[in-house]
Amino acid sequence: MDPRPVEPQELDAITRRERRRQLRAALGGLAEILIALVIGLGVGALVMRGAGYNWRLAYEGLLIGSFGDQWAIADTLASATPLILTGLVFGLSARAGYFNIGAQGQMVVGALAAVAVGAHLSAPPVVAVTLAFLASALAGAIWALPPAFLKATRGVHEVISTIMFNWIAHYTALYLVFNVLNDPRSAERTVRVLPGARLGALIPGADMTAAIFVAVGVAVFMYWLLWHSPWGYEMRIAGLNPSALRYAGANPLWSVNLTFILAGLAAGLAGATQIIGRPPTYALYGDLSNVRNLGFDGIAVALIGRNHPLGIILAAIFIGAMGAGARMMQIMAGVPLDMVRIVHGTVIIALAAPEAWTLLGKFLGRARARRAPAPPAPAKTVHR
Amino acid sequence: MPDRSAPPAGAADQYKPVSVLAGAPPWLEMRGITKVYPDGTRALENVDLVVAKGEIHGLLGENGAGKSTLMKILSGILPLTSGRILLGGREVSLRSTHDALAHGIGMVHQHFSLVPTFNALDNIILGRGALLASPARAAARARIRRLMEETGLHVPLDIPVEQLPVGTQQRIEILKTLDRNVDLLILDEPTAALTPQETDQLFTVLRGLAARGTTIILITHKLREVLALTSAVTVLRHGRVVGSRLTEGATAQDLARMMVGTERMPDVKARREHQKSEPVLRVAGLTVKGDGGQDVVKNVSFEINAGEIFAIAGVTGNGQSELIEALAGLRPIARGRVYLLGQPINGKSPRELYRMGIAHVPEDRHRLGMVAQFSVLENSILGVHHEPRFRRGVPGTIHWGKVRRYARDIVRRFQVVTPSLSTPMRSLSGGNQQKLVVGRELSKSPSLVIAGQPTRGLDVAATAAIRDLLVDIRNEGKAVLLVSADLDEVLALADRIAVMYEGEIMAILQKDQFDRERIGLLMGGVRDGSAAG
Repeated sequence: MDPRPVEPQELDAITRRERRRQLRAALGGLAEILIALVIGLGVGALVMRGAGYNWRLAYEGLLIGSFGDQWAIADTLASATPLILTGLVFGLSARAGYFNIGAQGQMVVGALAAVAVGAHLSAPPVVAVTLAFLASALAGAIWALPPAFLKATRGVHEVISTIMFNWIAHYTALYLVFNVLNDPRSAERTVRVLPGARLGALIPGADMTAAIFVAVGVAVFMYWLLWHSPWGYEMRIAGLNPSALRYAGANPLWSVNLTFILAGLAAGLAGATQIIGRPPTYALYGDLSNVRNLGFDGIAVALIGRNHPLGIILAAIFIGAMGAGARMMQIMAGVPLDMVRIVHGTVIIALAAPEAWTLLGKFLGRARARRAPAPPAPAKTVHR
Repeated sequence: MPDRSAPPAGAADQYKPVSVLAGAPPWLEMRGITKVYPDGTRALENVDLVVAKGEIHGLLGENGAGKSTLMKILSGILPLTSGRILLGGREVSLRSTHDALAHGIGMVHQHFSLVPTFNALDNIILGRGALLASPARAAARARIRRLMEETGLHVPLDIPVEQLPVGTQQRIEILKTLDRNVDLLILDEPTAALTPQETDQLFTVLRGLAARGTTIILITHKLREVLALTSAVTVLRHGRVVGSRLTEGATAQDLARMMVGTERMPDVKARREHQKSEPVLRVAGLTVKGDGGQDVVKNVSFEINAGEIFAIAGVTGNGQSELIEALAGLRPIARGRVYLLGQPINGKSPRELYRMGIAHVPEDRHRLGMVAQFSVLENSILGVHHEPRFRRGVPGTIHWGKVRRYARDIVRRFQVVTPSLSTPMRSLSGGNQQKLVVGRELSKSPSLVIAGQPTRGLDVAATAAIRDLLVDIRNEGKAVLLVSADLDEVLALADRIAVMYEGEIMAILQKDQFDRERIGLLMGGVRDGSAAG
């Protein structure tokens, strides 16, 4: 049925109604998140109760440990910093139609670059920090290029290529940590970056540094890019309807590459935040424990944040709070770390499930669309 | 393509129009059918449909009138909100296609659901076992052969269906349905992709089926088909029954009036005669390859002058799509030269072609011409989104205020009906989507407009609006390349017609040579009495 005909002059008045509709949709989304949160926390509570722990005390500990005082909040934000960036990697790519799970590898490479530049380049503080960030962003972007190139030219699926590059990055990092960037005085980590390249704690006693501003800045940039620039306009078309992008006169290959490169930049920066922006180590651990899983956690962050840069910031803070509150959960309720992780997992799954479901449907739908002709086109016949 | 499997003429001759309106007892009764979708859309409101056994009943209406919804309810695909369905006086409950088939009700959809690499036999018995050689398969083959004899629907059983003409594929679909012991056959726009000859053959078959007692409901918006085939017709408008009447004695004007609610037939605007001058587009020896690497446009040459509509007629799938794509920069030119206003355009990208003055209304607007999830606002700058006139001070930032003014202008000038500029494009009706696409393309102030199937799937009013726009730009002295499978549209709009068949231009006809039958034959590959290809 046609929508009600309107005079064009009325369009703006009706746009207000449309805004109200969008607001209602946003509130609906918020309700969805709250319900998921209640379900996740509820299941977590059941698990803890089943195992004989005081779940009320545990959640109280979680709250105190993450938002209880300024140090707790700072720890939460410090944990959120790399997750904002890795979340943006997945979120931006998903908006552009790719399932880019290469954040982990690109971040590791970024961390290596931060160590290499930060530890060996002697420069005034601001310059050194800037150079370390630039080097890691560049390294992340370069690491994203081969999968982008393989996708654009040979059609290699990004899931396969980015997983492979994650492993290559992982083992390359292990090799470099022990053989090239190793610290003769301390076997378990690399050399530390020079003092000039270190970001100090903003609140003494907590881990938060100015790196959080970099992460938020990148998120704001991504928001501008996606909704206020022609390049982001094209990226979103690439994600929704790649044929229309070619019709619109843009080069889809360029869009693929730009998306991968920008995502790689963000991933590289995430690595740097863990090296130059995370007291007190300022180095990469031999077991890569200070970058472990951050890339993959970014997928959860993006899914919870509905692939929207501002949603990703909130989601990263939420996941960061879960991480920062873990210790108090253990201390106050005596819940072992493994149990804490189980609870985290249930909450994250509950929150990410709706978006993961949508995304899955989209990818499957596209695969179906490729097999069958689009609905409006009548069946074609080949006369040979 | 020669498809000589026409049914025996005898069966069709026995067909005598049957209708409840002419006194026959009702067999299928749909009473007070109301359908409300979960989002509150009232698709059907208290609809009655009564059909006699062996009747061919037309269901006529514009897009969105509720024809398909009504038939989906009858074939068990959609649940009804309220109302009753009676078969032979007994109320039936149709909760699934399985239920419907159990009551002998089957639907042939507009878009075939055949497995292209399977042969007809496999497609017909798909889902009911016996895909491997076995006595059951032999029995199925014998049963289908018998069915083909009885109905006159002859198809080759052992050739992959993708190698068969569309008309034959359609017969396979019908056989597939009849093989489920269907005695109420619903056909949704069955002639959309057929040649006039294939359409005639189909109608002969349908008359034969009806003569044997099969009841047929034909969903269509083509008046000619209703008049040629049906005994009675029910017209729907906006989800309500406008009326039912016997086809005998009805004229196209009568039916059109019931369908659109006005006296006005989709007449085309008066065309202004003017001196045709230099060619805008010159195509010389153009060859284009298809997705499979074979030549699908073969050594085609033509010119289009300023101020004329040059139409390419032909059955869908004879190279027209690839020709458009090559001219729009979306598909490489294999051989030949193409000039726009004297400038070669070989190898140019869509964006360069747009700058040179080509606007393109794509055949498949859902796939190419728009982003369904984007708002009307965002869609209105698709293709011009990179231009400085939509930028603001901050480098590279889109000035959405300027875009809004631009979009509002298109919406106003081309009378796009939309609740707002922020409405997602997919919420608009097909006609309004197309008006926005056409409006956006014409706003590029082009010298050549390429329009592919510009009115396909649109209702009468939207079709008329789009056709008027095409005549308008022709009258403004621009060149229009119209590719359409709708012969009526081509005849109504074109100054010259080229007929394409198997990638070649069979003939280019001047206005005084326009002749429906001749064009129909050319579309079927027949030139001067001899089959080509």
